[in-house]
Amino acid sequence: MNGGNKILETVSVTMRFGGLTALDGVTYSIREGEVRGIIGPNGAGKTTLFNVITGELKPTSGKIFLRGKEISSLPPHAICQEGLGRTFQLTFIFPEMTVYDSIWVGVNSRARRPWNPFILAHQVDDFSQKTKEICHLVGLEEKMNELASNLSYGDQKILEIAMALSTRPSILLLDEPTQGVSPQETDNIAAVIEKLSKRITIILIEHSMDVVLRLCSSITVLNEGRVVAEGSPKEISKNEEVQRVYLGEAS
Amino acid sequence: MPEIVSTTLFLLVNGLIWGLIVALIAIGLSLIFGVMGIVNMAHGDIYMAGAVLSFYVVSMLGSFWLSLVLVPAAIILIAAPMERFVLRPYEGYHSTTMIATVGISFIIQQIALGTYGGIPKKITNPWPISFNFLGVDYPGYRFLVACISILILAGLWLFLYKTSYGILVRASMQDREMASAMGIDVSKVLITTFVIGSILAALGGVLAAPINQVFYLMGNDVILLCFIVVIIGGLGSLKGTLIAALSLCSLEGVLASVLSPVQARAAIFIVMIIVLIRRPRGLFTE
Amino acid sequence: MNGRSEKPIEKRETPTYLVLIFLVLLLVMGMVLPKGARSLVTHMMIFCILAMGYDVCFGLTNQCSLGHAVFFGAGAYGVVLSMLHLKVGILPSLFFSLGTGFILALIMGLICVRLSEAYFVIITAIFFAVFHLFAMDLTWLTGGDDGLSLNLPPLSLGPVTLSLYHPMVNYYFVLIFLGISYLILNRMARSPMGKIFMSIRENEKRLQFLGYDVFRYKLIAFIVSGIFSALSGGLYALTLRYGSADFFSFPWSIMPVVWCLIGGIGTLAGPWIGVVIMSLFQYYVSAWWTYYLILFGIIILLILRLSRKGILGYLISRRLRQKA
Repeated sequence: MNGGNKILETVSVTMRFGGLTALDGVTYSIREGEVRGIIGPNGAGKTTLFNVITGELKPTSGKIFLRGKEISSLPPHAICQEGLGRTFQLTFIFPEMTVYDSIWVGVNSRARRPWNPFILAHQVDDFSQKTKEICHLVGLEEKMNELASNLSYGDQKILEIAMALSTRPSILLLDEPTQGVSPQETDNIAAVIEKLSKRITIILIEHSMDVVLRLCSSITVLNEGRVVAEGSPKEISKNEEVQRVYLGEAS
Repeated sequence: MPEIVSTTLFLLVNGLIWGLIVALIAIGLSLIFGVMGIVNMAHGDIYMAGAVLSFYVVSMLGSFWLSLVLVPAAIILIAAPMERFVLRPYEGYHSTTMIATVGISFIIQQIALGTYGGIPKKITNPWPISFNFLGVDYPGYRFLVACISILILAGLWLFLYKTSYGILVRASMQDREMASAMGIDVSKVLITTFVIGSILAALGGVLAAPINQVFYLMGNDVILLCFIVVIIGGLGSLKGTLIAALSLCSLEGVLASVLSPVQARAAIFIVMIIVLIRRPRGLFTE
Repeated sequence: MNGRSEKPIEKRETPTYLVLIFLVLLLVMGMVLPKGARSLVTHMMIFCILAMGYDVCFGLTNQCSLGHAVFFGAGAYGVVLSMLHLKVGILPSLFFSLGTGFILALIMGLICVRLSEAYFVIITAIFFAVFHLFAMDLTWLTGGDDGLSLNLPPLSLGPVTLSLYHPMVNYYFVLIFLGISYLILNRMARSPMGKIFMSIRENEKRLQFLGYDVFRYKLIAFIVSGIFSALSGGLYALTLRYGSADFFSFPWSIMPVVWCLIGGIGTLAGPWIGVVIMSLFQYYVSAWWTYYLILFGIIILLILRLSRKGILGYLISRRLRQKA
């Protein structure tokens, strides 16, 4: 699973907001095929790191490379087109669109002419095909014509993942995909991620150690905007500093 | 002193004083935006209401000074229910709220039309003396306007920066969610801010009434100017709004002597476009 | 998997067949209506085009513009000035309308579209106000609020020559444009572009992270909106046989908003309901109460209270939710 090429690399990324330093010289890299977990206490900078990588924020200093190409100052939509997909911590979906349409929009985004005003949307056959494939992959095909806002919270989280997948990314950034979800749905989501991990690289922010230990091939620990430890799940769970960092957490 | 210099000086000072009045109104608008996130499209009509009410106070009670006190009191009775019962329900949906304020604008204008009438009337000059400054005869009332405006602005500054309630208002401007999480009663802050913003507009109307004529549509022109001012100064930035108001009004005042009023307004408009292209959030916001 | 793709349930827009039935109804009405009513309906059809045009901007991509009077007025003057100075015929004059609408929307859009909500509302309002000011001032060009009158040349369509002075011809002329506009916009709403617009309304930021340059699409929507609004202005000038600076005044900016809010934003033909209700309201109520605008203001407050999406939008939403 490891040992592929470096697919994502951050070099000395620092993010400052006025007086607050959210990220401080974060340098790390992900290889193709990995499932990398990012853990750390609240406020450690995990989501900020995602925001910087995906282009929502421009780093105060430092660079980010996607497959060798610098993406540090590209806008979010360009970064997505380069093959990066992400989900959001709080479900960030299209409430009044169906599951099918929500995924279709992402599939359409990689078309040569996504803005085509002359054809009827539902007549673009191979998009319809791809959309259904993704629905099937995440297990939402029975609910394809449901409105996104009518889904259960767990299903919405899965829809989030499906939407991120729809742009055919080569690397997927998942921000707390099992947060706020029942244990059974957690299992469900974890199974989906496991399935996905066989075909694309994944970076996972998670609070649930179970999920992290189950899915991740390696883990990065962040605290106060700095990388505190990095290694295999076994190494990390034995790491003293990591335990100290989490000791304050009511975990 | 050569004619052209003294005329220009006269126009400049005139423009500055008008700029002070516009600053009061625009700061009220900016304050409301900063805390509530909406632009009150009826703000110009509150300015008009201030002028109209002042007209009534002056004609019935004979004193301009009284109107400076009574009009704000009356405006509280109009603005507070407006915020609580009309604006609050649309919380969070900014476009919707702004359209709602357009509806309010119609209502206020028509009430004014119905009660005050459609004919522009003048309020007699409360201080009809003039004094000579650098060779120019300057109307005393305008000097008074300058003093009162500066006093009001100073009072506002004291309120925002020196009182504990003012700090709450500023905190809410920065980050409403954070303020709420810290236990600040945001709904009180909303009403207070809206009322203060509206009082500022109304006082602008009271001060402007003896200078311009009182007319039920006078809010329209002023609100346009305020909009341009906040675009350049930056919505939510009180300092920026003040500077923009003073500069734009003096600029327009001076230009209006060589160009026509419409051309002067066009020039201001172009300045705004240029600023907008370079700094979409105004000159003084981050 | 079957070869033909499954059609996703699309209930967002007013069902097309309903609209087509309505258009046929209008077709028939043209022949039986008495003169006064026919004239009123002609005006309403023009407003329907304006409402649809505005809905593309406000309803489909959630951009609350208060500056559409610019397009309406410009469209009218596109017709008037091209006829007076360039002596063109009726159809070419409408091309000038569309062209003016396109150019203005492009320029305004490039400046305004990237701004955030509140700034966008203000800046579009400033544009309309300034245009209105210019139109009133440059009387040598626009005729001020007295306006400029038109002498309409005959409309020659191949072997047939018609005169727009004939009310029936005028009626059907407008109806044809209404029908064509609806078909074009409906098609667009069902196309990939339309879906993108819908997603902008649903969650603009998410769309960026799905790889779309949202600014570009909002700009396109704004321009399309401007073009159709200009078309309605041109048709209005032809119908009234004149154009005045009044066409740049505030009602032309705010009425489309009200029509959409009453009828249902994002539904394209929903705003037609708003047009009908408000036109009748203005026609009858303004006659017996001078201060009917107070009612107008109250109506705005009430429909906003009822639902942000307007009457039709609210009904559609409820039906969609009940389906679950």
